Amino acid sequence: MKNTKKWLFLVFVLVLSLSLSLAACSNTSENTSGTKKPSGGDSGEKKNFLIGMSQANLGEPWRVAMNDQIKAAADEYPELKVVFADAAQDNSKQIADVENFIQQKVDLLIISPNEAKPLTAVVKKAYDSGIPVIVLDRKVEGDAYTQYIGGDNKLIGKKAGEFVAKMLGDKGGNVVEIKGLEGATPQQERHDGFLEGISSNPNVKIIAAQNADWLKDKAITVMETMLQANKKIDVVYGHNDPAAEGAYIAAKNANREKDIKFIGIDGLPTPDGGLKAVMEGRLSATYIYPTGGKEAIESAISILEKKEKVEKTVILDTIEATKDNAEQVYKQFGGK
Amino acid sequence: MSAERATVPNVDQNPKKLDVRSILHFLQRFQSILGLIVVVVLASILCVRDGVNLFLNPINLANIVRSVSENGIIAIGMTLVILIAGIDLSVGAILGLTATAAADLMMHKDLGFGSTLVIVLLLGAFIGWLNGIVVTKLSIQSFIVTLATMSIARGVARFWSGGIGIPITYGDEPNLAPPAFSWFAERISGVPVPAICFILLSIIFYIVLKFTRFGRYVYAIGGNETAGHLSGIKVNRIKIMVFIICGVLSAFAGIIHAAQLSQGSPNDGNGYELNAIAAVAIGGTSLAGGIGTIFGTIVGALILGVLDNMLGLLNVDNNLQMVVKGLIIIAAVVLQKSRSNR
Repeated sequence: MKNTKKWLFLVFVLVLSLSLSLAACSNTSENTSGTKKPSGGDSGEKKNFLIGMSQANLGEPWRVAMNDQIKAAADEYPELKVVFADAAQDNSKQIADVENFIQQKVDLLIISPNEAKPLTAVVKKAYDSGIPVIVLDRKVEGDAYTQYIGGDNKLIGKKAGEFVAKMLGDKGGNVVEIKGLEGATPQQERHDGFLEGISSNPNVKIIAAQNADWLKDKAITVMETMLQANKKIDVVYGHNDPAAEGAYIAAKNANREKDIKFIGIDGLPTPDGGLKAVMEGRLSATYIYPTGGKEAIESAISILEKKEKVEKTVILDTIEATKDNAEQVYKQFGGK
Repeated sequence: MSAERATVPNVDQNPKKLDVRSILHFLQRFQSILGLIVVVVLASILCVRDGVNLFLNPINLANIVRSVSENGIIAIGMTLVILIAGIDLSVGAILGLTATAAADLMMHKDLGFGSTLVIVLLLGAFIGWLNGIVVTKLSIQSFIVTLATMSIARGVARFWSGGIGIPITYGDEPNLAPPAFSWFAERISGVPVPAICFILLSIIFYIVLKFTRFGRYVYAIGGNETAGHLSGIKVNRIKIMVFIICGVLSAFAGIIHAAQLSQGSPNDGNGYELNAIAAVAIGGTSLAGGIGTIFGTIVGALILGVLDNMLGLLNVDNNLQMVVKGLIIIAAVVLQKSRSNR
């Protein structure tokens, strides 16, 4: 009994002190912005802004990169403070996150929605309450937001297709496609774009296509089967870099990696990302699927400080990264 | 409920010690509500910015009860299952399945409000019945059975909708959902409808557990199944009933979920079973069965909700939020253990 009481006490003290210290440190940083806020209208001193960033999930490296790029871009502006919330792929959690930001009266909301429909209402609520809203990557329905910034999957697919058509030349060749998740829009667009890209070269044939759900381990299994079934494979088109990398591993295990070229998409500037894989020669090319993190902060500055009206929709271009420019692109997107 | 508690020898303690003990006993008896008071006070003090209390704001408080109501409704059913010394891991998958079913029935099968509600609740009841039948008649542990039905329900949901969410749009024409359904996402004079449902269901099951024969049987089975059986309780029937109730409540939470999100997604409700179990455990219900209350569970769900809200308002790092939540759960269960050990 005595022991349990001691334990109890210990745990409670631990919990309390932890939450208190956490609260304290976040409170002090708030205070700096809080004290400056009222005086922000004076000339000379810059006004501080609080930006809430609601991320759909941080399980995907691409979304981690988005947050990193937002943070890096915001660090250039000392008057900006960005607070992040992670919905862990849960629509309900993301609604609560945005509600929290509304309660905190953030000066601007950046959101990368988990899914369009469920988040539409709460984004509208924020927008209607006077908070400028920048939507990244996945859209919401209607037009109750300030700006949408996203990549163009169809364009990326098309460029990849054109690259393959050119690389294989007049002789053509066999392509296998390792797709993303069934039913996902990016998968459909990356597929459609690719077909358009290779259409100029009638000798390029897609001989097999399978879903790997964006996962590297699944791509290995899928590719193993494809290698068994097809004697001649010239190109693997992965709907994301992990798919292409997984396929590379399977091909290497079968000693066939030298005969095959691997193309991926996403081009994350991380140690395990596609750009490194291009630099190290595993992938022939990858296509940057931009997160829009940097652009979102630039828009935020335009909206909050310059009081400018921003474009409703911004579609970001991609960059083709091959062994010639991968290193430079890697540095450009903040890779270390 | 507490045959063992009645025999606790308090008699030969000296009076002074008894006093301290009874205070401690009182504290532990109401540990869950004390916990709630602690987090509420903490949140009220900490969530102040520029002289404005972000937490004690009617809209924020309404947000909290709304966000806990789905978990709360599931946790009521989970309390019953845990009281009979079982566990139900399928609740989150049932929520995903029933939300998908509700969206599909209204949007694609053109069913009305009433028939959708009935079919979806029956679907929840069926999975609950399946859980109960396999647990009792084949005597397999509920952990394994519901682990399997979790996978089955999730698979059926994903197969049903092709793995993607079905958006719900309201209107009177065919292939639009009946506008009545959106009632579940509305607020009545500021109080969210899901919260009202949660409160009503809490009261109903509080009464069921406390004042009905069924409620007494649930406690009896959890306390000592063999004794319950020997004293003439139809143990299997009560157990199956409990699993059916849990399934129906999860289905009801699924309906609310679909209305809140204007979508039925087969991937939703992932991990909800753990939140429900956490609420039950924080509320002081023993995972060994036989001891616990609906009131404790409600308080447990609210503690989790207030905690989430507070940590969110304070912009605490999300990863640290998980750590803090874990610590609170351990603290609550340790408290509960020290109570039941005596």
